[in-house]
Amino acid sequence: MVYKVSYVVIGRSHPGAILNQEAPPRLGEVMELGGRKYRIVEVTDLMPPRGDFAYLHVALRPLAEAEEI
Amino acid sequence: MEKITDFLRHSEVFAGLPEAKIEQIVSIGHTATFSAGETIISAGEPSDDLYLVQQGMVEVLVASGGIVDTPGLPEMQPVVQLGQGQVFGEMALVDQGARSATIRAITEPTVLFVVPRAAFWALCEADHHIGFIVMRNIACDLSFKLRHRNLSL
Repeated sequence: MVYKVSYVVIGRSHPGAILNQEAPPRLGEVMELGGRKYRIVEVTDLMPPRGDFAYLHVALRPLAEAEEI
Repeated sequence: MEKITDFLRHSEVFAGLPEAKIEQIVSIGHTATFSAGETIISAGEPSDDLYLVQQGMVEVLVASGGIVDTPGLPEMQPVVQLGQGQVFGEMALVDQGARSATIRAITEPTVLFVVPRAAFWALCEADHHIGFIVMRNIACDLSFKLRHRNLSL
């Protein structure tokens, strides 16, 4: 299964991204985008799966500097 | 050749195509490599090609509301980044209009697979079933991008 993920950054400190990945994003995970770390605060289905593709929406919140350490 | 065939086989836009058609698409396309910061296409320019991100990442930029009677080009704002497997240029492929956005490479290197529009249309015209599959896949990709944009506003 290919997970096509729409990443939207809360606060728009990053324009967001659309990425294909082999593993689904998980709530609470930390990921890096454009050299900055973000925490996944929401994962929802964006569209029903079709063929080998699942379509997800993820909301990201920038990690506070204290959290990054 | 094998690497590109495998890449296209697993790309969303060509999903569901038989092996022979994938190989035909490989034969009409070519790879192009860009450096970080290099502009791939510019908004407003005529358009001819469909692009798939084979390696790296690109950034989509649109004009952020140019002011009437104010000289100079409108400022371009990034609206999304597209990673491996993503497609761009599909709007112009469908409506044959000018490029709606500027696309810039943001990784070093950024490798794209480029499909010329004329050859691509000829392929779809020659086999309408193939054309239906690809157009449905492109519609699905456009729908995804619209939903992403709605959530970004």
